Amino acid sequence: MAGIIFLVMIVLLLLGFPMMIPLIVGAIVGFYEIFHGIGKMDFMVQQFMAGIRPASLIAVPMFIFAADIMTRGQSAGRLIEMVMRFIGHIKGGLAVSTATACTLFGAVSGSTQATVVAVGSPLRPRMLKAGYKDSFILALIINASDIAFLIPPSIGMIIYGVVSNTSISELFIAGIGPGLLILVLFSIYSVIYAYVYDVPVEPKASWSERLVAVRKAIWPLGFPVIIVGGIYGGVFSPTEAAAVCVLYALVLEVIVFRSLSLEDIYKTAKSTGLITGVVFILVAAGAAFSWVISFARIPQELLETVGVADMSQIGVLFVISISFFIGCMFVDPIVVILVLVPVFAPVVQSVGLDPVLVGTIITLQVAIGSATPPFGCDIFTAIAVFRKPYADVVRGTPPFVLILLCVAVLLIFFPQIALFFRDLAFS
Amino acid sequence: LFVTTVVMPMATRADTWRYAFEEAINEVQGVYASKFKEEIEKNSDHEVELYPYGTLGESADIMEQAQAGILQFVDQSPGFTGSLIPEAQVFFVPYLLPTDTKKLNKFFRTSKAIHRDFKKLYAKQGLELLTMFPEGEVAMTTKKPVHSPEDLNEVKFRVMTNPLLVEAYKAFGATPTPLPWGEVYGGLQTNIIQGQENPTSFIESTKLYEVTDNIIYAGHNNFTTAVMANQDFYNGLNKNDRKVIQNAAKTAFEYILTYQEGLEKEALKKIQAARPEIEVIVLSEQERKPFKAAAAQVEEKFIEMTGKSGQKILKQMKADLRGL
Amino acid sequence: MDKDHHPAPNPALSNGVVSTIAARIDFFIGCFESFVLATAVLLMAANTIANVIGRFVFHSSLFFSEEVNRILIVMITFAGIGYAARHGRHIRMSAIYDALGWRVRKVMMIFITLFSALIMLVLCYFSIQYISKVATSGRILPALQIPVYWIYLWVPVGFFITAVQYLLTALKNLTQKDIYLSVSVLEGYEDSETEV
Ligand code: NA
Ligand code: NA
Repeated sequence: MAGIIFLVMIVLLLLGFPMMIPLIVGAIVGFYEIFHGIGKMDFMVQQFMAGIRPASLIAVPMFIFAADIMTRGQSAGRLIEMVMRFIGHIKGGLAVSTATACTLFGAVSGSTQATVVAVGSPLRPRMLKAGYKDSFILALIINASDIAFLIPPSIGMIIYGVVSNTSISELFIAGIGPGLLILVLFSIYSVIYAYVYDVPVEPKASWSERLVAVRKAIWPLGFPVIIVGGIYGGVFSPTEAAAVCVLYALVLEVIVFRSLSLEDIYKTAKSTGLITGVVFILVAAGAAFSWVISFARIPQELLETVGVADMSQIGVLFVISISFFIGCMFVDPIVVILVLVPVFAPVVQSVGLDPVLVGTIITLQVAIGSATPPFGCDIFTAIAVFRKPYADVVRGTPPFVLILLCVAVLLIFFPQIALFFRDLAFS
Repeated sequence: LFVTTVVMPMATRADTWRYAFEEAINEVQGVYASKFKEEIEKNSDHEVELYPYGTLGESADIMEQAQAGILQFVDQSPGFTGSLIPEAQVFFVPYLLPTDTKKLNKFFRTSKAIHRDFKKLYAKQGLELLTMFPEGEVAMTTKKPVHSPEDLNEVKFRVMTNPLLVEAYKAFGATPTPLPWGEVYGGLQTNIIQGQENPTSFIESTKLYEVTDNIIYAGHNNFTTAVMANQDFYNGLNKNDRKVIQNAAKTAFEYILTYQEGLEKEALKKIQAARPEIEVIVLSEQERKPFKAAAAQVEEKFIEMTGKSGQKILKQMKADLRGL
Repeated sequence: MDKDHHPAPNPALSNGVVSTIAARIDFFIGCFESFVLATAVLLMAANTIANVIGRFVFHSSLFFSEEVNRILIVMITFAGIGYAARHGRHIRMSAIYDALGWRVRKVMMIFITLFSALIMLVLCYFSIQYISKVATSGRILPALQIPVYWIYLWVPVGFFITAVQYLLTALKNLTQKDIYLSVSVLEGYEDSETEV
């Protein structure tokens, strides 16, 4: 059954059908096979609803909305100009700043999709202006946003911790090492890229110019204060922080800067709704498809044939990595964790692997899978927001995925990358 | 998958039955389900596939799937059943169930409210109630020590989105704050909420003790859960299969009660080992008084919400409890 | 630039009296969809902010806030899919398709839109079936105390409108010379400055 489903999906996908169609047809074929007819197919709709139910998803439209208001107005421009006064003269400085901004925003907001939009939409035009190629920019934004999976708070790690009975605090600390390593490697690649393609630099700004830029950015600097201070200060959840950002953006653009009219805001809300719909229908259809895979126990059957029970520690880690990587290429990461972690739990225990290391590796694979074609939420979001064809959005990803895979392999052979900080903090 | 299509007339045919529950496989509901599966497979040719938390959806989803016959068995806690069977929320009325384990177990074995009244209510929803069992005393975990309702003043306390639970924590003096389960750990860590409640073993396995500093036992409730079968499926079985199911449910019931003996203490020990600075507070009888007094308000709310039918169940439960 | 804030009546339908009425109806559906989208997004922001204010200023959470957001997210998603189909914004992997010849692409596009319309109609049917199941179960939302199926009412409407959009696109591709991604959008991606 798995064979037919995947074949149908790939064919429809490659023929150029809207992406929701292969996912929906995959689910329809699955339901038909499982229940020998169309009798229970209305439960597909139940899973559609389950897919878009999580309250944390609300952060996505809210951050899209806030980012769109900031970008159409002046807030985003002022913030970026301020940063440029400090780093504009450094080769690759803007790319490194973008990667860092994605990592930080993603870490705090907890949503990689929101990061793609909130950081990507204001910074992409600026990077284009600075002379970077669009394929590089898009790949950088998508992949740097996914580092957020590894940096606390990470919803993937929380779910893993709950399902596998592992300390979430330890997981959080273990994620920091690989997360920062990836950020450093992305930054190195960005600088090399800037040199190879000779991306021009701006003249170094004087301190008085910098002061002027900071002054102009005083109001917009409230955004990081709201997001970081609000969330870590316990004032509100990431979702609520997103909504408060919307309010703050409205106040700035409509009242303080007077750059947007109420009609502009209405249009922005409409555009936010459209992007949300385009992405969330894929989340919904993906949930129905995941249900089929989970109900038919396809992962369990596949793993039985692999014979994971008789492998060494390294072998098991490789099988886990590959399984999660492939799983997340097709299915929502959270569902992959929920379904696969219990499947691997006995073998992880029997070969004596550290569950914290396993959790870190799984989270890394989830991050890679979410930025890898064919089905990746962050890719969808980038397509929907930046209005670029699928091929253009993924064209620049190979070097980034390669870096991520290298880190994944390094992590298997040198677990200290993850466990060093953990051991430091917990012994 | 394909086993179900092979029809062998006149012979016992081996089916695959599907059983979903709301917790991970190593938590109480999962242990019950595993035992149930073991018993069925030992005493029949049928197979039982287990689907833990989240693999087929959330609580409400698996319940619907069971009602539609997609799943043959489902474990759903009455608290979640509240939107379908309002009377099931009676298990949220504080200080209704006894804290003494022996009494509690006897209640679940013998209660007419459960074995007669609730059975009928579940049947109306197309479900055959197989068993109800306790999952452990609900403990509060908080940032600051709690000895009285005053200590809960202005504490944003996470509760499930359930009107009765909200009422209970209002009565206890807290600010009940409904927060989705996925945000609880993060919410405690960043201090959006300062308290939550769950059985000790669940607090241990979900690591919530990492982000709170006190565990408080007020004896106000014991988390209850229920296992049921799809009724059409159940009624369509032959006598022998039905007996196998009933026996498996009973065996697993006794097994889970034994399994839970000492489980709470063990979980608490693990918590204390992982986090020695955590403070364990067991409220004295005197300290419990104001909490017990507040419970009356919740009982009123329950009756207001469920009317005559709820009143009847509550009365029967109280009678069952007096008879222990 | 905002070319469709006041969209012109659908040109695919603009001959004959009946078609004029159909075009009018389609025009109003488009306006209604965009109104639902914008309003739902604004309400979602207001609702979430109100919950924060409630918790901090008045020390009490809006216990129904999460359920209201659930209703809104369904509205946004299912008003969004119809509106996205209208503007040819659904995500697709078009690399192979783009490499094909004009005639093949034209035939393919007709096939893609017809098949997509069929799938949307199928889902419309199943969502009605699912909703009536939830309605008869009598399940209610714990905080708002309203029937759960109310959340889902927009779902079949969204699928139906999307199906109609794809059907109209197929019709347009059958009757016109160019290849259309949606009724109003020609094949090939729009300039990225264009807003919806
Ligand atoms: Na994170
Ligand atoms: Na992916």
